[in-house]
Amino acid sequence: MSIEISNISKTFDSFKALSNIDLKINTGELVALLGPSGSGKTTLLRIIAGLETSDAGNIIFDGEDNTEKSTQDRKVGFVFQHYALFKHMTVFENIAFGLKVRPSKLRPGKEYIEKKVHELLALVKMEELAKRYPSQLSGGQRQRIALARALAVEPKVLLLDEPFGALDAKVRKDLRRWLRKLHDEYPITSVFVTHDQEEALDVADRIVILNQGRIEQIGTPEEVYDNPANPFVYNFLGNVNLFHGRVHNGKIELGGLKLDVPENTEAGDRDVISYIRPHDIEISLEPAENGFIAAAIIFIRAVGPIVNLEMKRIDTGDYIEVEISKEIYKKLQLKEKQTVYVKPKDFKVFIPEDYII
Amino acid sequence: MNLSIKPIKLKQQSVIPGFGLTMGITILYITLLILIPVAMVFVNSSTLGLKSFWEIAASPRVLASLRVSFGTAFLAASINAVFGLLMAWVLERYSFPGKKLIDGLIDLPFALPTAVAGISLTTLYAPNGWLGRLFEPLGIKISYTPLGITVALIFISFPFVIRTVQPVLHSFDTEVEEAAACLGASRFQTFRKIIIPELLPALITGFALSFARALGEYGSVVFISGNMPMKTEITPLLIRTKLEQYDYSGGTAVAAIMLIISFAMLLVINLFQWWAGNRHKMR
Repeated sequence: MSIEISNISKTFDSFKALSNIDLKINTGELVALLGPSGSGKTTLLRIIAGLETSDAGNIIFDGEDNTEKSTQDRKVGFVFQHYALFKHMTVFENIAFGLKVRPSKLRPGKEYIEKKVHELLALVKMEELAKRYPSQLSGGQRQRIALARALAVEPKVLLLDEPFGALDAKVRKDLRRWLRKLHDEYPITSVFVTHDQEEALDVADRIVILNQGRIEQIGTPEEVYDNPANPFVYNFLGNVNLFHGRVHNGKIELGGLKLDVPENTEAGDRDVISYIRPHDIEISLEPAENGFIAAAIIFIRAVGPIVNLEMKRIDTGDYIEVEISKEIYKKLQLKEKQTVYVKPKDFKVFIPEDYII
Repeated sequence: MNLSIKPIKLKQQSVIPGFGLTMGITILYITLLILIPVAMVFVNSSTLGLKSFWEIAASPRVLASLRVSFGTAFLAASINAVFGLLMAWVLERYSFPGKKLIDGLIDLPFALPTAVAGISLTTLYAPNGWLGRLFEPLGIKISYTPLGITVALIFISFPFVIRTVQPVLHSFDTEVEEAAACLGASRFQTFRKIIIPELLPALITGFALSFARALGEYGSVVFISGNMPMKTEITPLLIRTKLEQYDYSGGTAVAAIMLIISFAMLLVINLFQWWAGNRHKMR
């Protein structure tokens, strides 16, 4: 089922949670709503589910306007961050709940319910725990039961509100892989909310980046990571270094460094900020002819295949984060307090007048 | 088979010292204030011998008074359970002007001397009273009937259910209700299958407290009941009547009967509550 979100706005007291959100989610897609806390992502999810009412706008499921429909009639599966399992019911009863509360005409028979619950338990790999109570399960197990419970009613849309937010790093990673796999096998239209960019980049087909109640960018993980629409998106998707500089006749000056920026030729002569990812910085031991920036190494973290370096620019005193491979690190034989020369391999320039940072 | 017996460990290592002292005070306190006075009832009534004890217990007037006492107290506690739950719900779930005031009024029955409550209720519900007048044409008499006793008992045991249910409702996770709604459960189904089971232990506690309080009430009931033997005489009053006639052993015998029944009922309620509170924590 496709979801169309049209012109949705929501205000809590004086706080504008969402303003004029337009978004179309295609059938079978797995979409992540990504944003910092307070960006309105959970509110938007709750409005889709009918748990919250919007001040303006429409929610359309498969061409049918659902704005006025109650949560009960929307047939959505919802998974909460803190599981929201029924504590006084066993795992089996929790999963069967959605089928058992159907009006008697639509209620499936006992054998069918039993079969269905066991199917779902098999799906979440928890067959042997049917008789347990939620308090006897671990966090990861509880969330899988919550997911099985949501799937029991065969929803057309699956909504997940920070589903892995309360779990520890290892379980989180396992569960999101598992969710991805589940979605590949049963392509239910799914929307999940997260503030973890890594999670969104890892799992989603498309990412919607929200900030202060507005959509900043929509795109596939590669699109938003490689071509961020604005400084906010750039900042939010991974670590970033800020270099203050100046564009002048299609060239950018960053400290003593002059680089070509053909896309900013028409920008004229003005101050800019350029954004450089830590892994897009090249290190050299000698100052080369076209003016590398001199920086002192402050700290080295050489755990794993990627070596993180923290540096301080000698000219301005700004801090720079650099990521290099262990190979290069060993070749250069870098040490703390050593002075080296850095040069951005790839960077993005945003003219600050367009964006307030 | 493992036959080793785990030694009973009275004291557990804790960062907070003083187990011996606090436990000692607890036992002394309970003994002085509860065990000895309650034991006295049995000691005094035991002078009667089993045969005359049974005669008193089975006498029509005593049986009638027990029926009135337990019947009205049970009815009052049941009514308080229903309306107490409703009021706790209103106070916890909605915000409206005057909420704090209403919340404060709930404890008033505890602060008011019960005799004052009894007198004002009697006047109100008497056939010519402000409220009694409205019921009179319908053929309903309130003052001087078991109905009047129930009204007085509802009044004096009013706050218990509200005050026990309120904190549970307060900490109730609304996400659980939302989860039920997403699964298609109607509001009534959510209430009956999700909320009530969670509230049940607190509701039973409130009911038990309410019931126990109503059972022991004397001050307000003597005014509103009219105290007609066999009809509106409650057991505490019968005990007092017997004591006034210097029938001390008879009085304590009735007291002992009442205690035994109360114990049995509270035990049943507690077992039920233990079941309700623990069934999802077992194993």
